[in-house]
Amino acid sequence: MSSRIAKLFASAAVALVTANAAQAETLVVVTGGSENMVDYVTDYLGPLFEEQNPGWTVKSLGTGPGDAGSQAVLEKLTAQKDQPTWDTDVIVTNQLKTAEMVTEGLLQKYRDQIETGALVTSDAAKMALGTDVDGYVMPMFMSQTAIAYNPDLVQDVPTSLEGIKTWSEANPGAFGYNGIKNGMSGVAFATAWIYAFGGSDPKTLMEGPYDAGAEAGWAEALADLKTFNQSVTFTPGNAGTLDMLNRGEIAMGPVWVDMFYSWQADGRLNPNLKITLPEPGMPGQPYYYAIPAKTAHAEAARKFIALATSPEVQAEGIVKKFNWYPGIDAQHLEASMDEASWDKLFTDVTPADLSEKAKPFPLGPFFTDLMDQYETEVSN
Amino acid sequence: MISSKASLLLIAPALALMAGLFMMPLGYSLLWAFREEEAQTWGIGNFLKAWEYYSADILFSLVIVTLATALIAGFSLAIAGYLTLGRSGWAVTLLRWLYRWPLFIPFVVAAQVMRTFLAKNGMMNNALVELGLLAPLQTASYLDWRGIVITFVWKQTPFVTLLVAGAMAAMDRAMIEAAQNMGAKRGRILLGIIVPQISRTLMVGLILSYVTMMSVLSVPMMINAQQPTMLTVDMAWRINAYGDYGVANALGFIAYLMTAGVAWIYLRGELQTRGGAA
Repeated sequence: MSSRIAKLFASAAVALVTANAAQAETLVVVTGGSENMVDYVTDYLGPLFEEQNPGWTVKSLGTGPGDAGSQAVLEKLTAQKDQPTWDTDVIVTNQLKTAEMVTEGLLQKYRDQIETGALVTSDAAKMALGTDVDGYVMPMFMSQTAIAYNPDLVQDVPTSLEGIKTWSEANPGAFGYNGIKNGMSGVAFATAWIYAFGGSDPKTLMEGPYDAGAEAGWAEALADLKTFNQSVTFTPGNAGTLDMLNRGEIAMGPVWVDMFYSWQADGRLNPNLKITLPEPGMPGQPYYYAIPAKTAHAEAARKFIALATSPEVQAEGIVKKFNWYPGIDAQHLEASMDEASWDKLFTDVTPADLSEKAKPFPLGPFFTDLMDQYETEVSN
Repeated sequence: MISSKASLLLIAPALALMAGLFMMPLGYSLLWAFREEEAQTWGIGNFLKAWEYYSADILFSLVIVTLATALIAGFSLAIAGYLTLGRSGWAVTLLRWLYRWPLFIPFVVAAQVMRTFLAKNGMMNNALVELGLLAPLQTASYLDWRGIVITFVWKQTPFVTLLVAGAMAAMDRAMIEAAQNMGAKRGRILLGIIVPQISRTLMVGLILSYVTMMSVLSVPMMINAQQPTMLTVDMAWRINAYGDYGVANALGFIAYLMTAGVAWIYLRGELQTRGGAA
């Protein structure tokens, strides 16, 4: 290499290094969730943070829906465990895996260090499927599953899981869900099935203590579910259920309420479709913001989460733009919201429905047993 | 002429790459299928669990791949046979031009194409309805085991056809012409004269296809939301949802045994032929 070219390269390298230093820092946000959650950080929250904090860039990464997406985050953090600093600053993960991360010491306590920490009082901010996560998490939003249906094809809308069972037997192939491997709405349906037909009081499953004896009636319920599965259509995912409903290939199926309303608002879903929350209820879950134990940017991470859980962002971003139920207490949002946007969330599923029939997922060990038994008894 | 030492030296980098990037991970995976992480022991626990959870999927994979292989054999012989014996010049040219297309399409794209093609309201059913062959209510989705088989067959047939047609083209045509002169029909010539001579090439193509199909994740994942499903999906599921590498490795081991079975049949045949010739 001639010395002229070498000099050119050297100066270019110096320019690059100094530019990087001047450019300040990057905040890495890793999201385990469906596409809409990644969009939320990429399109809305990230740019907002960058605007308020000049010099910062938010890099957002999605690891996919369901347990699998959050498991990927868990594995990423575990792999870096022995490093002095980790490359992930903020994570957004589901209850089951966040609880595991707290137990394994992969997260740091931060809620009392941010001003919005006091705005959350719900149980979901303290307990995740029976594990104490108090202080380690801020709920990003609450989401709920429900049964979506096409009123043109379903005349007598079933109001309970028992009703869905009978309806599906009379209309083979018209009920669709995504099993347990293709997203959480299917898992939610299987859970609701156990709440309804599992024999024991669902309260035990949700609040504990864990007792394998409470699973006595599961075998029969799961055998029933196996029979039920003979008359349903399997869909390729949370989005797949909505797609098939939209194309009229199925008439009814479990969906996430937020996804349902967002798709309808975007014109991606038949505006006539409706949702209902059947007896005895279906589970929902929050997704959590958490900070990995050894992040290099803890302060910026706290700032980011404080912004994300501020009443204004919760009102504008979570409720209005993305149709989720807020992660912080709803009373703090009233000042920032117009009534119409608020009411939109409660068109089909009323607040009374929610307080009566919105359930959490069962405790971690029950949940794992349920997934295991579904695989051995129902799908194999 | 280079010495054998020098030639060893020449292939050493390739061998090292094979050993490091292929043989070592494979050996590691096969070995660790027997590791029971929770109990910190070695044993067949992962295999018992794999069978308890996924026996239906193991059988399903076997049936799907075997069925697809059989269909590929039929189609590739039909296409290659027509390329060799077909009398209509333009039909042969068109076929020669068309059949290779799926070769250039990756599995994941093929799966996506089939998803829009085979859905209940997909292109295939719409076309049939438009042609008046089906009423809209009679349409059915093929996005289940049939979809997997169709995609596999569509994607792998050109590969086997390419090999088989090549072997057919290399044959001495005298025997075919003699049979034609004696008045033999084309089907009979194909099955009685050509196929026995190219059967080894056909076997190689089919075994390679079998192994390839066994390892595809995108097609069953994207096309078949039903139960049962193929082993690759279960392996991805065990790793992604549970971080359970033990059972995933055990499933991999089982898939390996299934392909090894085919390889063994092939090798035995090979040895017998060679033994007979020697």
